[in-house]
Amino acid sequence: MNKKNVKFTLNGKPVTLTVSPSATLLDIIRDELKLTGTKKGCGKGECGACTVIMDGIAVNSCLVPIMKVAGCHVETIEGIGNKEKPHPVQEAFMDLGAIQCGFCTPGMIMSSKALLDKTPDPNREQIREAISGNICRCTGYVKIEAAVQAAADKVKEENSK
Amino acid sequence: MYIDYLTPESVTDALQILQQQKGKARIIAGGTDLLLDIESKKHNPEILVDITRIPEIKGIRTEGNFLIIGAGVTHNEAAKSPLVNEKAQVLAEASRSVGSLQIRNTATVVGNVVNAQPAADSAVALVALGATAVIASSDSTREVPVEELYAGVGKTKVNSNNEIVTNIIIPALQPGEGSAFTRLAQRKALALPMLNVAVVVSIAEDKFQQARIVMAPVGPQPVRASDSEELLKGAAINEETIQKAAEAALNHANPRNSTLRGSAEYRCATLKVLVKRALETAVARARN
Amino acid sequence: MKEYKVIGKSIRRLDAWEKSAGTGTFTTDIYLPGMLFGKVLRSPYPHARIKKIDTTKAEQLPGVEAVLCYKNSTRVIFNTSATMTTTVPPMKPVLDQYIFDNVVRYVGDEVAAVAAVNEKIAVQALELIEVEYEPLSAVYDAKQAMTSDALEIHSDCPAGKNIPGEIIHLEMGNLEQGFNESDLIFEEEFKLPIVKQVQMETQAAVAQVSIDGSITVYSTTQTPHPSAQILAHIFQLPVSKVRVLNPPYLGGGFGVRIGLSGKAEAIATELAMKTGKPVKVVYDRKEDFIASDTRHGGYVTVKLGLKNDGVFHALELKANLNTGAYCSFGVEAAGVLGAMGLSVYRIPHQVYHGHSTYTNCTPAGAMRGFGNPQAMFPIESVVDMAAERLGMDAKELRLKNIIKPGDKWVLPYPCKSSGLPECIEKGAREIGWNNRGKLNKPGDKIRRGIGMGVGTHVSNSWPFCVDFSNALVTIKSDGTIKVASGVVDMGTGTKTSLAQIAAETVGVYDMSKVSVTLADTESTPFEIGSHASRSCYTAGQAVYLAAQDARSQVLEYAADYLKERMEYLDIKDGVIYSGNEARISLAELTEYAHLHNKQFLGVGKVVPSNAPPWEAHFAEVEVDTETGQVRVIKLVAAHDVGKAIHPVIVEGQLEGGLVQGMGYALSEEIRYNDKGKQLHDGIHKYMLPTAEDIPEIKVILVEPHDPSGPYGAKGVGETSLVPTAPAITNAIYDAIGIRFKEIPVTEEKVFKALYK
Repeated sequence: MNKKNVKFTLNGKPVTLTVSPSATLLDIIRDELKLTGTKKGCGKGECGACTVIMDGIAVNSCLVPIMKVAGCHVETIEGIGNKEKPHPVQEAFMDLGAIQCGFCTPGMIMSSKALLDKTPDPNREQIREAISGNICRCTGYVKIEAAVQAAADKVKEENSK
Repeated sequence: MYIDYLTPESVTDALQILQQQKGKARIIAGGTDLLLDIESKKHNPEILVDITRIPEIKGIRTEGNFLIIGAGVTHNEAAKSPLVNEKAQVLAEASRSVGSLQIRNTATVVGNVVNAQPAADSAVALVALGATAVIASSDSTREVPVEELYAGVGKTKVNSNNEIVTNIIIPALQPGEGSAFTRLAQRKALALPMLNVAVVVSIAEDKFQQARIVMAPVGPQPVRASDSEELLKGAAINEETIQKAAEAALNHANPRNSTLRGSAEYRCATLKVLVKRALETAVARARN
Repeated sequence: MKEYKVIGKSIRRLDAWEKSAGTGTFTTDIYLPGMLFGKVLRSPYPHARIKKIDTTKAEQLPGVEAVLCYKNSTRVIFNTSATMTTTVPPMKPVLDQYIFDNVVRYVGDEVAAVAAVNEKIAVQALELIEVEYEPLSAVYDAKQAMTSDALEIHSDCPAGKNIPGEIIHLEMGNLEQGFNESDLIFEEEFKLPIVKQVQMETQAAVAQVSIDGSITVYSTTQTPHPSAQILAHIFQLPVSKVRVLNPPYLGGGFGVRIGLSGKAEAIATELAMKTGKPVKVVYDRKEDFIASDTRHGGYVTVKLGLKNDGVFHALELKANLNTGAYCSFGVEAAGVLGAMGLSVYRIPHQVYHGHSTYTNCTPAGAMRGFGNPQAMFPIESVVDMAAERLGMDAKELRLKNIIKPGDKWVLPYPCKSSGLPECIEKGAREIGWNNRGKLNKPGDKIRRGIGMGVGTHVSNSWPFCVDFSNALVTIKSDGTIKVASGVVDMGTGTKTSLAQIAAETVGVYDMSKVSVTLADTESTPFEIGSHASRSCYTAGQAVYLAAQDARSQVLEYAADYLKERMEYLDIKDGVIYSGNEARISLAELTEYAHLHNKQFLGVGKVVPSNAPPWEAHFAEVEVDTETGQVRVIKLVAAHDVGKAIHPVIVEGQLEGGLVQGMGYALSEEIRYNDKGKQLHDGIHKYMLPTAEDIPEIKVILVEPHDPSGPYGAKGVGETSLVPTAPAITNAIYDAIGIRFKEIPVTEEKVFKALYK
């Protein structure tokens, strides 16, 4: 089988891998790198459970051929926040009950982070657009939307200090 | 499954690869449709040639009275671009309605056209705008109106094994022109359209000068409501003319009974509502 | 109302951190050394005999380690659902499934399975399996399946052709007399669609077989203990040698895996036994759609008799549910439909007569509400019709007739609490009920309407099914608490709620000192599991009793240690008090106890009673009369939950269910083509709501405190979409004057009704 090298940055660290070119970014993240935070919900770009951030934008990693990732900055759920200090979006999700079964959560958080990184003061329409491709069957999206808004408010407050 | 994936950095290089591979290589841009087509065995390329790193086809710019959209431009870039919103608003609206934000962040306007589905939202808008595709192959470059790129349902005249659409050229909307996109779908995201309609009108002194009205999926490709367009030429702008034009759209519409997205009867009946609403919005925008 | 320290507080969920960091393990995240991947070959025919099956080529593909079909797999008849373990004698569970059979009964039915070193090879191997089918005629409609033209899908149907198990008959009073005495009678038939749970984590299992024959199965089941019993039955193993667990997280359920997760556990186990290696079976999304239980669609008729003053006098409810190719929960769902439908209103003469019918569709099983949503769309539609005919306000008509505590009803347990009147009044105020009928002007093309629906449900499945809970509460040697319960947390917040119950009861309020182990047959005593909205109420009751037991052991020990009378002692915030004097911390006492050979281990066992939750839903909709599109502007849900152990968790459950209910009313359905293939077999085709589709949602909690539940709690999980559909369709009626007797009310249906 033809294998190729691919280099990219993952959660701030450089990564060099030898991969099958027909693998997707999701395959590599989960099966090769064993980073199982990013979930596979459908494998067809229809549910958003596999959302990661690539060069600042939210994408369905199940539809990204791994070679497309060469030279890019990829962020997965494992790379945001940490034990000492969760990311404001993670904090808001936890505080406002935006998490139920947790399967859509990593993808939801990545979509939300991608939004807030570029649009720190989003309105309701922008929040809904950002998570429009993330299906959640548990929450009805209500507390998720509230959490994204709260995270935005918190970041705004911290930045104004 | 494909065995190689190349990312050339110029159109020339990309075309060279296509030529060398004699049909075994295929262009990929965003890939959100293509990957699924490969999975379902609709296409079976050995090599994918990713054009999204080519600087000369990225970006949105103007050249005189034209808006140029590179083949690397994603739906989200088109939807949010101030240039597109100002000079080709119907395309911004159309691109905004595709899939989900994740899809729009990856999938390209040009890819949507080349994929040739009859109701590809941005293609419907581009036909209404009278846009032209610039197609490069290793021995020539040709310009073909987007409207003429179709060879049957889901079939494009672009051969992705040896040519590349590099840009779309759109005549920018001028003062006195307005555009609008209306869409009927079963939910607000992640839904293919039951119907979509794109309209570009130019008005002067309370009369229609001309209109381009495009509708889908009512045929194997985006369809011009030519009777409606004819009716509007020089017609006074009022509820009656708009209603008549909306009804005349049916003359060229032939939607099939879809098992998932509406019967022919329903889509014919609601088509005129969508055309009417698009015309009303386009007129209001032209007047501003 | 009593103030508690942790009960009633919306603390941070115990699993929130792991889930938001993506570090929590779900079944689909498990990788074991030497693990193989299992893939399933599924029938392309809705009904066929397998004439020939040749797996040789597949077996020879490098990387393939086992191929199974009916010829070489375990042949024990079972039912994937937990009914095998919960059917109360003298009723017998319907057993009609094998892992693989030589007859296939729906498109998607399991034909063969492969275990290979990776997923790609497993998929390739499937294509090399050669099968020759003899197609048989197929039927997809519950009525048609009973006619003489239809083939028998299963032969063992004593109740009638293609009827699995029993016909359910519930009765009260004298129906004929009741209708004779009625002044007005309404009789209508309604059609319900097949819909799907679409939980985010698909069916999955990883099975590992030890050299001594014991098995460990990580799975997405909602009921580990019953699932272990099912696997023990299939593989003829002692139950004590079968371990089933969530690892520990579970990506949703909504009823799709009460019992096995499709057949994932059984197939993974069979492949693991064959290969001697761990095997992971994960359904892809399409498989999850076509080959795991759906919600029953079917036909429901309502005949309601009432007096001229609006008092309901007689009700006849009938149901014929499409249970698909295998029974699963077909009998129970038909039962609950009737039991719940007859238990909302005080009606002296009632009969329910209902059953499921086999068809060649995907098996239908449990889905949130379990027959109740299918009962209430019809009933609440007829109630609205009655109100209109009487010239009476639909809310007032309901208030006049709803069950009050102590009323006689068909259920074998009493109604001890009902906050429904308060729910109705509060919800009505919130939606602006007085605007009903007044929202539109003549000529309005966009028309608005308001509607409502009410309902009840259960807090567990007693006494209809085997239902009991056991729990352990251990106080560790450092004074921290460990709760062990065999229910799961599929998003419902069980882990947190049970922790709160234990914490409050023992007297430890620092939640960082409370830990919960769930969903593992190895480390928890027998527990039916999470279904029938029972986890907080029933498992919660067991945890409460276990915590009480642990607490009294501590106090008894402390009394001796402190030389005090036990009655004077209390535990508050992890400290043992004598009166108002803090005497010793729990941590110090338990350390001392440990060093003197003692641990405090509380055991709780409960066979529960049952308690009805109550709910009233209100909807405001907008109908675009030019396109038929219906947009829900606002949904209000007022729920009697007894006591909200964790208000935010309860709200979250209700909000999620409301959105599912909206989908049920307007856009979700699974239809079949004439070859038995599901038309809506993917998320892009199945129209569940996205974040851009949701209306304004307001949830109101009413807490009348049921005496039978832990801290007054009642079941919640399923109540959230019981009356949502009729609230919306009654609102549509208010908007455009058209009554829909079939859901989903799609734009095309509305359009056709407006312009026919």
